[in-house]
Amino acid sequence: MALLEVQNLTTTFRIGVGTVQAVRGISFHVNEGEFLGIVGESGSGKSVTMLSVMHLLPDYATITADSILFDGVEMTELGAKELRAMHGRDIGMVFQDPMTSLNPLFTVEQQLTEPLKIHLGMKKKEAREKALELLNEVGIPAPEERLRQYPHELSGGMRQRVMIAMALSCAPKMLIADEPTTALDVTIQAQILELLEALKQKSGASVVMITHDLGVIASMCSRIIVMYGGTICEEGSATDIFYDPRHPYTWGLLRSVPKISTGEHRKLIPIPGTPPDMLRPPEGCPFAPRCRHCMRICRTVPPPQTDLGDGHRVACHLMHPCAPKIDRE
Amino acid sequence: MTETAPLLSVRDLRMWFSAEKKDIFAPQAVLKAVDGVSFDIRRGETFGLVGESGCGKTTVGRTVVRLYKPREGRILFGGVDIANLSGKDLAPYRRRMQMIFQDPYASLDPRMTVESIIAEPLKLQHVPKLERIARVWELIDRVGLKRDHLNRYPHEFSGGQRQRIGIARALATRPEFIVCDEPISALDVSIQAQVINMLEEMQEEMHMAYLFISHDLSMVSHISHRVGVMYLGHLVEMADMAELYQHHLHPYTTALMSAVPIADPVKAATTKRIVLQGDVPTPIDPPSGCPFRTRCAYCTKRCSEALPEMKEVSPGHFLACHVMQNA
Ligand SMILES: Nc1ncnc2c1ncn2[C@@H]1O[C@H](COP(=O)(O)OP(=O)(O)OP(=O)(O)O)[C@@H](O)[C@H]1O
Ligand SMILES: Nc1ncnc2c1ncn2[C@@H]1O[C@H](COP(=O)(O)OP(=O)(O)O)[C@@H](O)[C@H]1O
Ligand code: SF4
Ligand code: SF4
Ligand SMILES: [Mg+2]
Ligand SMILES: [Mg+2]
Repeated sequence: MALLEVQNLTTTFRIGVGTVQAVRGISFHVNEGEFLGIVGESGSGKSVTMLSVMHLLPDYATITADSILFDGVEMTELGAKELRAMHGRDIGMVFQDPMTSLNPLFTVEQQLTEPLKIHLGMKKKEAREKALELLNEVGIPAPEERLRQYPHELSGGMRQRVMIAMALSCAPKMLIADEPTTALDVTIQAQILELLEALKQKSGASVVMITHDLGVIASMCSRIIVMYGGTICEEGSATDIFYDPRHPYTWGLLRSVPKISTGEHRKLIPIPGTPPDMLRPPEGCPFAPRCRHCMRICRTVPPPQTDLGDGHRVACHLMHPCAPKIDRE
Repeated sequence: MTETAPLLSVRDLRMWFSAEKKDIFAPQAVLKAVDGVSFDIRRGETFGLVGESGCGKTTVGRTVVRLYKPREGRILFGGVDIANLSGKDLAPYRRRMQMIFQDPYASLDPRMTVESIIAEPLKLQHVPKLERIARVWELIDRVGLKRDHLNRYPHEFSGGQRQRIGIARALATRPEFIVCDEPISALDVSIQAQVINMLEEMQEEMHMAYLFISHDLSMVSHISHRVGVMYLGHLVEMADMAELYQHHLHPYTTALMSAVPIADPVKAATTKRIVLQGDVPTPIDPPSGCPFRTRCAYCTKRCSEALPEMKEVSPGHFLACHVMQNA
């Protein structure tokens, strides 16, 4: 069952020199209780996609969609106030840099209890108790003491735990984690990933994990969406994406990361060129300028999605019956 | 082990910073960023340095190329101790050692053209103008940029291109040794491999040695011949990459290895992550004895009493751990 279903989402930003086409007509869904990964390089539209769903973008952003259905509610028909109410209550968010999303002027207690008071109508004492419980749950030692502290007094890992506690405070149905461990050291990253896994097991919420790290995706997610240039180029189970990828960009991505291993030195195979400028994205397939299988049609016609069955979808002209058969490089 | 003397030999290097508080009655505090580190790097070799943020990797790199003056220790470069040289005596070494920085945005002067950025180290070495131009053209080709890029400014380039400019500048003086401090951390996944391959090709061609600093163990393992693992200002283990991967002994190395997310779902599901508890202690007030003991599952009484010394546990494999040295 789909908890979130998005149809034809397009998001643009009007800036001085033109219009940034950040997300270009994508459709996707998030199943109930699943761990979904969105992967792609920086600027591919991962964050904007989820921020658009939440309507958490600045005024100069234009968001259009045929439909955004969350838990049976058509979000495109909601007003700003109702959307704000959903944020924090039904959908929790955790960002890469907790420093920018935690308010430096307020203590941990003030920030943790606020959503509890607003969304759940708790009184001060009750909210404080719940806050302590949440800090315990996310594995923060000496929670009483932490409640009195300000964000800058905490380490990066602690701040991320506080963020997670905040995001979970109203028991949301969906948690969006946008590069939650990118700024952390690997051993601290391991702690946070472990925590997210445990919390998901316990609460049954859906988790959408946005990251550029294929390792994090592989160890956490059951389903994966690969984004490039504001579009979804491939979507499927972790097994599809890692063991049977069909899109040349997915191939390139998998080949360009080193595997930690013994002895034999395998040269990395980089993807040539650079990601597209979203002010002037290519007319056809966004990956065409960097794709070694690019055909004439690729430069002018955006590739349609081909459904390979079992939720494995690929947007590439190579899927056309008349296209040359290319084996995974 | 090797017949030839190493290009660089670092012995018992210490670099402390003052961590004075504003309060004039506060006790004098020092931050022991690097506290007794020894290693060798041979010609044409890549020595990787890994460890968590703040453990002292950058400080080791900057001290070795003498951007800092060490508090203690020896830095033998081509047999000469440069730890205490200054001014004119140090100048020739400035040419022979270079550095590539993490942030390609911050490390290039925004008011200088690409040409003057790359030519700057040559100018400092008083290389004549014509020779300078020829060398810059050669370098720009080599790192895959175009000649009409030369009159442009850094902000007109992407991160990967800026890192190429940084590499060209580092190569300008034909150094024998380059410190690469997180040279790919700021780059996109698909661009990282471009830069890593370029560094590898340059090394094959010009045979220089690299000190490759990164917190990304998979990239370090890919590019390095030998690797040192740092924790809180100390080297805790050092070995050939293959040896370290197969026979790592230090509890911190073990945790680090297991924490690296593997881009392979089946392997990831069957490998157990060792999750360390707690954070790295502050280097202003490090634990007594072994720096890792506050997070170590094997900690014994002795670990809080004495700092474990680096011992060679098998040829070329060095370890600083009371417990595992005798295991
Ligand atoms: N110029 C300085 N003055 C005072 N303290 C410093 C200075 N440079 C570094 N430090 C401190 O020394 C310690 C080691 O820093 P260093 O930059 O070498 O770490 P690192 O291992 O390179 O970390 P990262 O992975 O975050 O780059 C840190 O605690 C840091 O705050
Ligand atoms: N507030 C904004 N104003 C203008 N452009 C933006 C803004 N946020 C994102 N963009 C642009 O939208 C595109 C997609 O961005 P984003 O979703 O943040 O990428 P990702 O999360 O995949 O790294 C990029 O080209 C980015 O520069
Ligand atoms: S549509 Fe064409 S250019 Fe795009 S990925 Fe497929 S083959 Fe390459
Ligand atoms: S010396 Fe003791 S505390 Fe340190 S790593 Fe070894 S066992 Fe752990
Ligand atoms: Mg993002
Ligand atoms: Mg550093």
